[in-house]
This record gives sequence, C-alpha cells and structure tokens, in this order.
Amino acid sequence: MVNYGGDEVSALVIDIGSSSLRAGYAGDDTPKAIIPTSYGYRKTVSDSDIDMTDGATGELTGPKANAQLFIGQNGPGIWRENMEVENPVVDGLIQDFNPIKPLVEHALVDIMRCNPTEHPILVTEPAWNTPANRERMAEIMFEELQVPAFYIANTGVLNAFAAGRGSALVIDVGQTMASVTPVVDGFVLRKGLVYSSLPKLVHAHARHILLSGSMSRPGIELLPHQLISSKYPVEPGLSPQFTLRQDRIAKTTESWRTWAEGREVDEWIQTVAGVLDQGWNDQVAASRPPKQYEFPTGFNTYFGSERLSIGEQFFYHSPQLMASNPNLPKHIPALMTESLRECDPELRQVLMGNVVLTGGGSLFSGFSDRLNSELSRSFPHTKIHAAGNPVERRYGGWLGGSILASLGTFHQLWISKEEWQDHGKAIVGQRCK
Amino acid sequence: MAASAADIRSALSIPNTPAPTQPQKKQNATSTKKPDGISRELYSLIGPSAPSLAAQLAKPRLKQKPNFGSGSVKWEMREFKNGARSDGLELRHWVKATTDPEADYPFAKYNAQPSTYDYTQEEYVRFLEDLEWTKEETDYLFALIRDYDLRWYIIHDRYEYPGSTRSMEDLKDRYFSVCRKLVRNRPWSGDETSKNLTLSSFQFDKERELTRKKYILSLDGRTPDQIAEEEALYVEIKRLEQNERRFKKDRDDLLRLLAGIDSGLPEVVEDDPSGLTSDIKKKKKGSMAMDLDSPSTPLSASIPMIKRIPSTKNAAEDALHCIVRSELPPPTSATKAAHPPAFLRSFKIPYPKTAIAPKVVQTLSEIGISHNRLVMPTRHNCALLESLLDQASTLVETKRMVDKLELDARILKTRLGMKDDQDMEAPPPSASIAGGDIGMDMDEPVEGGEAETEEGRAQSVVSTRSARSRDRKHPRGRSMSISSVDTSVAAATRAGTKRQKRS
Repeated sequence: MVNYGGDEVSALVIDIGSSSLRAGYAGDDTPKAIIPTSYGYRKTVSDSDIDMTDGATGELTGPKANAQLFIGQNGPGIWRENMEVENPVVDGLIQDFNPIKPLVEHALVDIMRCNPTEHPILVTEPAWNTPANRERMAEIMFEELQVPAFYIANTGVLNAFAAGRGSALVIDVGQTMASVTPVVDGFVLRKGLVYSSLPKLVHAHARHILLSGSMSRPGIELLPHQLISSKYPVEPGLSPQFTLRQDRIAKTTESWRTWAEGREVDEWIQTVAGVLDQGWNDQVAASRPPKQYEFPTGFNTYFGSERLSIGEQFFYHSPQLMASNPNLPKHIPALMTESLRECDPELRQVLMGNVVLTGGGSLFSGFSDRLNSELSRSFPHTKIHAAGNPVERRYGGWLGGSILASLGTFHQLWISKEEWQDHGKAIVGQRCK
Repeated sequence: MAASAADIRSALSIPNTPAPTQPQKKQNATSTKKPDGISRELYSLIGPSAPSLAAQLAKPRLKQKPNFGSGSVKWEMREFKNGARSDGLELRHWVKATTDPEADYPFAKYNAQPSTYDYTQEEYVRFLEDLEWTKEETDYLFALIRDYDLRWYIIHDRYEYPGSTRSMEDLKDRYFSVCRKLVRNRPWSGDETSKNLTLSSFQFDKERELTRKKYILSLDGRTPDQIAEEEALYVEIKRLEQNERRFKKDRDDLLRLLAGIDSGLPEVVEDDPSGLTSDIKKKKKGSMAMDLDSPSTPLSASIPMIKRIPSTKNAAEDALHCIVRSELPPPTSATKAAHPPAFLRSFKIPYPKTAIAPKVVQTLSEIGISHNRLVMPTRHNCALLESLLDQASTLVETKRMVDKLELDARILKTRLGMKDDQDMEAPPPSASIAGGDIGMDMDEPVEGGEAETEEGRAQSVVSTRSARSRDRKHPRGRSMSISSVDTSVAAATRAGTKRQKRS
C-alpha cells in the first residue's frame, strides 16, 4: 500500500470544462460520468411526460427559478419545443453557478449512483480562475452538496501530473480556450500563464468555410439531424434532397439552433480537419488526400486543402487577418513565446524538455507533429509529451485529479467541513495554492 | 478379452483361476476397495492382488500449489485520522483487519516541514537592518518562503509586495544574507566546523548569479545561424587537432626510426601548448622502443644497478674462469619460471621483423651471410650477427621511408604546382633524401666488411643507443645524410600541415 503511495479514500473527482463535465472515482483511469456542460431549459412547464422519460431534470434557483432543466446525454441533444440551451462555462470560467449544482448532482447521483455526502470531492479549475469563483465552488460543495471534504486543484498542474511530471509546460487546447501554463514543482507560475480563445477562432473559421462555400461547392446548410425528417442519398457535391420537420422549425429556439450548428461544425472539424506538419504549403496541402464527409442533410463532398487550413489557424495567422482584428486571439507559438519570456531563463530548458500537450482540441490530426516542428525551430531540445490515448488527452485534467486524490500524502490537504466552518472562505485560498 | 486377462495373470504370476463367475467378481469389487493410483480397467483385470505394484503407483504429483498466505484475508472499511492534519477529518479506507486501528497513518510521516529561519524583533533591529528592505517586506518574504518551502521560482512568481519589484536574485540574496547573519550572531551549539558548514550552505553571490543568468540568456538568444556557425567551427577545430596529431605522430615515428630518440637531432619546436606533455609521452615511447630493439644483447648497458651489485662480487672469479654472464631478456610473462632454462647462444639470435624480413634476408644473402645460422656461434660472433641484422633492418626501413618520402615530395611538388618555375629548378627537398639514400647504399658493403674486422665496432653494438651514436661518428657522410633527411622531412610535413590547414 505504501509502496506506490496510493491510499484510496473513495474520493470523487469533478472536472468541469467548456464542452463536458467529467466525474469519477479517484484512482480510476477514466471518468465514470461524462456529460455535456451545456444544458437545456424551458421556462414554461408544458408536457411533464417528456422529462419523465428523458431522465435528467432539475430545478434552477435564482433568476431562472421554476425553469425546467434538461441535463446530461439526453439534455440539449434532444429536441424539445422552446428549449433554450445555455452553457455555464464561458472562456473556461464558470460564469453562472446556478446550474452547477444540478449538473454535479446529475453526474454523481443519477449516473454514478453515489451519495456526495460520503465522499471527499476534488474539483478542478482553470489556471486563470478567480478567487471568488473557487470560493463559490467550495460553498456549493460544502453548503449545498454537504461534502465531507473538498479541494480545488489547477488543471495545468493536474495535466502535468497526468503526464507524470512535476514540472512541465502544459499546452491545453480545449473547446473554447487554449492555454500555456508553466508548472514548476506542482505549482503554476502565474506570471507565465497565458491563454486565448483560439479554439473559438478556429471554430468560427471552420463555420465560415462551410457556410460560405467555395468554387467547387455551394455553401452548406448546417441543419442538425433533429430537424430533418427524411433524406435521400446523393452523389458527392450534388445538392442534397431532404425534407425538413416543419413542425419543429417554428418551435426551435435560437440558442438551441446555435448550439446544434456549433455541434455540426465541431463534428466536421473532428472528422476531417487536420494540420500540415511543416507549415502551410499549397502544394503539400493539395497533395494530401481529400476526405469525404456527409452532413445530416445528406449533402456530402470531398474536402481537400480547406480541411488543412482549419488547423493552420492554431499556428499561423495571415497578416490581413491580424490587421483586420486587433483583438485576434494569439496563436500557439505566440502564446508559448510569451509564456517563456516571463519565465526565468534557467527554467526555459527544463520547461521545453517537458512540454505536455493536452486537451481535446489538440486531437487534430498532425497537431503534435506540427507543434514539434514549430518548437524545434526555435528550441533545440524540445520534447513533447502527448498522450496517444484520446481519452487521456481529452480528460488529462480529470486523470491528474484522479491520481492526486488517490495519493496517501494528499489526504492532509483536503479542506474538511470542520475547517470550512471554522475559517470560512479564506481557507480555500490558503490551502489550495 | 478373457484370454488376454489370463495372459496378464500368468505374466504377473497370479494363480490362473478358471473364468471367474459373476458373483465372484461382484464379491471382489465390493469386498476390496480399489487402491488409489490404479485405473479402474487395470484393477478389474488384475484384481486386488497387486499390493506391491499399487504402493508404487502413487497419485501423480502435480506442481505444488502456491501458498497465498493463510487463506482468506479479511479487509474492512475503517475510518482513520491523519496525524498530519490539524482538524478531526476522518476519511474511510480499506485496510486489512489485522492492522492496528490505533497505529499512526502511514503517510503522515511524509509531512516534513523544512526548517526555515525566523527572527525576533530585537534580532531584526540588531543585525538585520537593511536600507533596501523594510521589516514588513522581510516578514512577507519569510512567510512566502515558509509557504512554498524554499521553491524560489514559485516564491518569485507569487511575490507581490506593494510598491516593490524584486528579482529572484534580490529575494535569494536577502534571505541568505539574513540567515548568514543569524547563524553568525546566534549562540551556536555545535562546533566551529559545523557552523562554517552551515554558513557556507547559505552562501550566495548575487553578482555571480546575475552574470550566470546573463550568460544563459545570451546562450538562449543565439540565432540558428550562429548556432550552426558555432558547430561548424567546433567541428573544424576538432579536425585540425586530429590532423596535427597525425602529423606529429608521423614525424615522431620518423625521428625514432632514423636516429633513435637520443640522437641529438635538433628538435622541431612545438608551437602548441600540448607540446610538453606530448614530449614526455614521446620520450617514454622512445625508451620503450629502445628496450625492444635490444632485448637480447649479451651485455646490456641498461642492466639495473641492483642486479649488477651481486655480480660484481664474483667478477674476479668470473674473469678467472672466463665466465661471461649474459643479461637475459626479461621473462615475457609473470607466470614464467624464475629460473630460465639453459639455452644455446645461437638459439637467441633475433629474427628480423616479419614485415621486412625477406628484404633483410635478401640483403644479408647478398653479402653472403646466412641470417639464422652461424658456423661458430661464439659470443662475439653472435653479437656481430645481431648488430648486422640490426643495421640491415635499419637500412631496409630507411630505404623504405626514403622511397615513401620521395613519393610524397613528388606529389607535394606537383601540388605546389607549376606556378613558380624557379622553384622547380631549385634543388627539390627530396634531393637530399636521395643523397642520403645513395650514401647509405654505399655504406652498406663497408659495414659488412667491418663486421668481420672491427672489434670496437662490434662491441659498440652492445646497446643500440651507443652503437648508433658511434655509427654517426664513424661513417661521417651517413649521419649527415640522415640529419638532412630528417629536417627536410620535417619541413615537408610542416608544409603539408599548412596545406591541410588552408584546405
């Protein structure tokens, strides 16, 4: 037991990201419950039979009181009339704490079937989290979920732990945020922390490409399958033949439509998009094999070099783009340069030898190769650690939390309920450095 | 079946009963139990009357089952208190039921707090006042140090004292200087050395650290071009050094070959700093080579003093009885017997180096001497033959070297090129070599004649060294030619080096 330093106290680990909320037992290698962070809600309670069958529902407090919540796998993904979709996480930070309790409860109680009052809970936070936010999270855990002990840990540090490193330069590309976090001895160097909403830009770029069309193909309607009643197979590049569910169109809310379109774009990106290993080159891009993709409307075509231009946005912004938008999110090489500039020159060697690439956004095909070629151009001894297993890459923060919370030496760090009651909110900042 | 059963019975010398009746069989089966280890079919054949056989047919022994402790281990979910915690949080984990519930939490011992220095108000006023630092800021720094266990990068990262920006070196300098002052001024319980040790562990040179950081920065700031150039230069230096070493080695070989190491030839001045060490090495090598050259000379000049002392005792007796004690070659290996066996003198005539043996033999046969057979192998004759062999091989080697150098010189000459016609007309460096060659050729027959007639010369061969030095005096022209060969060769090699460098 002491040999590997583990001592499992059946702690739970909750990792709340922009796209999904991960929850599971500490010591496991994959989260038990993965639910979308987005949730659906409906103000006017109409058909009560729907929520009975669709499982997860909850009650919101605060301004959206009396609204019916649709959470989990059957939450926003199922079309309901007049259902709005919202995401409490904005730019990696939790902006709206109201749905957090229902979301966490859904994951712990409905999916994992465990009682939160019996388990210490470790929650993750992005490195740029505000003190007020983490205190609020502690409050939810202690006051509303009645957990016996709580700890909040930094995703940057946890990602480094998941990769087995105490010091690392963590490049985390998520759904909405890309960040570069220098971690030394398990602590984040706050001065070297940089982040930008780069994935959003990539997403917008992809959406623009799909909607606007090109010389060889028309613009594509990003209709989700929920709004299509029937379709017929068509040859690649030909206009689709499908019929809409007219009954649903009118009752679809704008927010659900946006969410569903975003998901179509994401799925397209995840299926076909890639990035070239050695920087943009028209000839090389043209020589790469095109990939076929079929949209829910039945429209399908081959995507050639445009699929590779999506990933390029992570590493290079054309001067025109930079000029047109002064607030353009910084691309990854710029983030890394900025981060390293803030670090001690002595540390740079150490950090560049321990680059940890993580986050679902980094699963772009060719991403780590490209990053490697970008880095080795300016740093001779770069070593990138990128987990090959997609689960490990996407849920690196959760995995690190799972490792941390199952260590015997960690159990002295929990903020117990007793301490919470004695010291109040200040204890969070003192304990979780 | 019955017949075969009868056969088996007879084979096992069991009384051959008439075919057993059914009730009998039944009685057999019921009355006696089948012993273990005999298959049912066999037992039904031979019946119960094979006890000795059955005893040997024990159950086949399988591999022993591994022993996983004493059966099942009971585990239980138990609450525990962590000694490293100040509150009463009780977490639950699975433990073996046998563990002591009162025992300390095994991980509590890892909660080690590093000892940091602290100071009182009075101490601060007396020793720690600093113009740059207020007491509040120092307190803040020490609190951070305690919080982050002397992790300077983190301390520097989290250091946010209003109205001051400090570099990591500032922080370190302040902390270490405070610690040094405290150690110096507080009463010290241990001895002086441990105090000095503690003091030295708090040593911090801010200026040096800053310079070091600056170096690291400039090292980081190199452009790829600069790095590539540096690497190219490094490779070039390595290459030049290698060339230099090779040429030096060639020259040394030449020197040793032509004149021996102590020939007194003018040394070519080394212009690199490593010259000193290489000289020493060369000398060592030279002396070793000399030993090898004259392993079996009858009366070596290099007899160790310790050995000679006992021999002088008997010198008078030896002289009386015409005993000549010969120095034996050192035993080739340590395991060889301390007493060398008796041997014939002719047995010890050295054989020329295999590489040049045919040529030496040929040279000797030209003057009508067999290289390995002496009609009268007296001591004197053996020594003469030896010296002859020695000189013949020197001759052959010199000749070979001269040939090589001539070739080299010719190549170099053609390389130096046709630009300068006057250079071509002037006596080329190989001229003197050729001269030396001729001189030696002329020397050879004279030497052969000498071998038979000259007494002093034969003795001089006793040690190669003295022989060579005398040789130089004796045929004047030859030694001259050798020295001229040497210098010209050195000049040639140096020219070669320069060319190499330029290319």
